[in-house]
Amino acid sequence: MILKRNIMENEIKIIIYDKVYTREELHKMEEEFRKSRAKLSFEEKIKILVDLQKLAFNLSKKKEIIIWKL
Amino acid sequence: MKKALEILNELKKEQIIKDYAIGGAIATIRWVEPFFTQDLDVFVVLKEEASEGIIDLSPIYEYFKNKGYLWDKQWIVIEGVPVDIFPADELERKAVEEAQEIEYEGVKTKIITPEYLIVLFLKSNRDKDIRKIQMLLEQAEVNMDRLNEILIQFGLREKFDDFKKKYYGK
Repeated sequence: MILKRNIMENEIKIIIYDKVYTREELHKMEEEFRKSRAKLSFEEKIKILVDLQKLAFNLSKKKEIIIWKL
Repeated sequence: MKKALEILNELKKEQIIKDYAIGGAIATIRWVEPFFTQDLDVFVVLKEEASEGIIDLSPIYEYFKNKGYLWDKQWIVIEGVPVDIFPADELERKAVEEAQEIEYEGVKTKIITPEYLIVLFLKSNRDKDIRKIQMLLEQAEVNMDRLNEILIQFGLREKFDDFKKKYYGK
């Protein structure tokens, strides 16, 4: 990924491949992504939660994280 | 998860509790993008009202114990899922009553609606609760008219206005 910052007229532009975004546009895209994930089924969300628990368990030193059984 | 819900449904079927609904982070996840949490918060409506300010959860814990599930730290761990049981107060009873019925892998359960979750989190008002209110307002389809009714009914309208002013400047 090529990522460059182009400071022009006090507005930062971010280039990702052949597209140019403002910071505001990137925030908006992130918000849209969050909203789309909010529409996943409850079952899918619980599977993602368990993946997050596994990740947290692997990253934690004390290994006190409980990983749910589905 | 499925087994935990089956056991909770058994509590209702065996008339140990009147009703229950999932609240807290897991209920929030129903309405917003998934995020990390460890416990399943469950609000239960008991068969009998509190007597002289004492709430007896022993029948519930006894039922779990007989099933082989034991109390560990603050949780009952049911088939690997830590479950937190909360006896419902007046607001939570209404939240359970109006909770949405859903199915998780074929098992029926009830989930507290975004409007009641916002009010419950507002009442608790911890940092992690505030974050969940923000997520619900930003990502879920919240019925603002219903939310307003609940806020007024439970005397929390002013607190919600303060929250909006603090975090959204309006």
